[in-house]
Parts: sequence; structure tokens; C-alpha cells
Amino acid sequence: MSGLYLEDFHVGRQFATEPVSLSEDEIVAFAEKYDPQPIHVDKTAAAASIYGGLIASGFQTVAVGAGQWLRTGLQEGTGMGGPGLRDIRWLAPVRPGDELHTIVEIAEARPSRSKPDRGLVHFTYTMRNEAGIVATFTAIIMVRRRPDAA
Amino acid sequence: MTTRYFEDFEVGELMETAPVALSTDDIVEFAKLYDPQTFHTDPEAAKSSPYGGLIASGLQTIAVAFGQFIRLGYFVKSSLGGPATDDVDWLAPVRPGDELNTVVEVLEVRPSKSKPDRGIVRLQFTMKVDDIPVVRFISTTFLRRRPAG
Repeated sequence: MSGLYLEDFHVGRQFATEPVSLSEDEIVAFAEKYDPQPIHVDKTAAAASIYGGLIASGFQTVAVGAGQWLRTGLQEGTGMGGPGLRDIRWLAPVRPGDELHTIVEIAEARPSRSKPDRGLVHFTYTMRNEAGIVATFTAIIMVRRRPDAA
Repeated sequence: MTTRYFEDFEVGELMETAPVALSTDDIVEFAKLYDPQTFHTDPEAAKSSPYGGLIASGLQTIAVAFGQFIRLGYFVKSSLGGPATDDVDWLAPVRPGDELNTVVEVLEVRPSKSKPDRGIVRLQFTMKVDDIPVVRFISTTFLRRRPAG
């Protein structure tokens, strides 16, 4: 599948991604490397914490959302990396086995002023489990312009 | 590893973390799970990308910076979780073997208005390679106040 170009990302357009869940092992494996806090790596300690059990690192939640978007293939070959992320909000804990649904909405799309072959797209992510919204954030990504439009 | 509570952080204070590097395998393994784009997953294909070679997922770089800070041990007993991270800027690519040095500056310290047992600390993370900033972000964490006695 080939990706969409800047011209295809209309503001307001929404994309759904495949639901996915994290196992206990996946949560612990990520956190041992990148966020080694007891609530993310130690089931027993997590059970006694304010969360009452193991929860995923917020950085892993964001990464899962981004990964599910990329697996749609809609940015394949047209995404050129990004300058940053904005407004990451962790609104509720993500627990092992939660079914995570990520919706990606185009918040902004404009051609680059300095580079005629690309533009900047703001993708706003909303991630939910069965209980409600768990995380929101915006990724700013450079996306190629359609070759005949450049 | 000394726990630091809300009262122990002062605006302007700088904290250094241990340097660390990502191998080609570290970069590819992370990206296959969370950021499957060829410039993160395929060292050969990455050569013909705009980056001229394999680079780490930006998501991995912020996680590495945060992990190095957590390893200082300050938050183990005091953190009550983080509601937000803001202004993540990927300023330059991170490549396999780059020595990553993360410095964390205390930007803001304020008591919670609604919950007397905690305060809010905002930290500015800056990751550098050869003294050049490559990644920056601001994290917000709820921290317990120092227990009485």
C-alpha cells in the first residue's frame, strides 16, 4: 500500500486504526528499558500503588498509538519524519489487556515555505479503552507533496 | 538512590543523567514495534532516505531521556504519575552509537490547589550529542510532599 500525500490530508479528516492491546510482559519489557518505575515493572508494588495494579508507561501508550497509525500504511513512503509532538495528555491509566482504539484526525496541513517537495501535517491522536479516553496528543509530520503538484 | 520529594526541587536546578547510546539493534527492535518506517527499521533502505542512514525513532529518544532520569532514583517513592508532556522537539537525528547526554532542568514547582499531599513539578529535558541539542521536551509530574517527621 502506498501512502497519502500532503494534498490528501484534509483538515478534519479522520482515520481509525486497528485496535490493539498490551500484555503484562510487553508493559514490563518496555518499562524496564525506558521507564523503570515500580508501577510499570513490578506487579506486586503496582498492586499496592495508587493505581492498584500494573499500568503501561505513558511513553509506551503514545508509541502504540503512533505504531498503529503507521501500520495503516497511509504514510508509507510519504512520511519524512517529524519535528515534534505537542500536548501529550495522559488522562487515564492503560492496563494489561485493555483494548486500545486510536483515532487520528488531521488538525492542520500546509505546504512548507522553504521546501517545495513537502508540507507539514498535524495529526491529533485520541486513544480510548473500554472506559473512555486514555491519551491525546498531536504529532507534527513532514509529508511529501503529490509529485505532479510540486 | 535518594528519593526526592516535591520540596526538594528548586527552579533552575540542573540534573545530569548517565550517558547512554543506542545500538542498531536497539533502534530496529523499538521501531519494528512502535515506529515501523524504513529509516528506523532497515539500515540498508535508510541510506537512500532523507536521513542518509538509520536513525532512532523520535519516540524512542524521548523514552530514553526519561528512562535515564528515572534511573537517578529520585522519583521511585515520590512520583504520583505524570499527566502531560509538552513541546517535544526533535532537533537533529539520533544515530546508532551516538553518546546521548540528557540534562534535566527544573522549570516550575508549585503546590497542588486541590490536593494538599502533593505538588506539580515541570522539568525541561534536553538530550545532546557532542554538546548539540538533539531532543527537547517538558514533562509534568505530580510529586508527593515530604512526609512529616
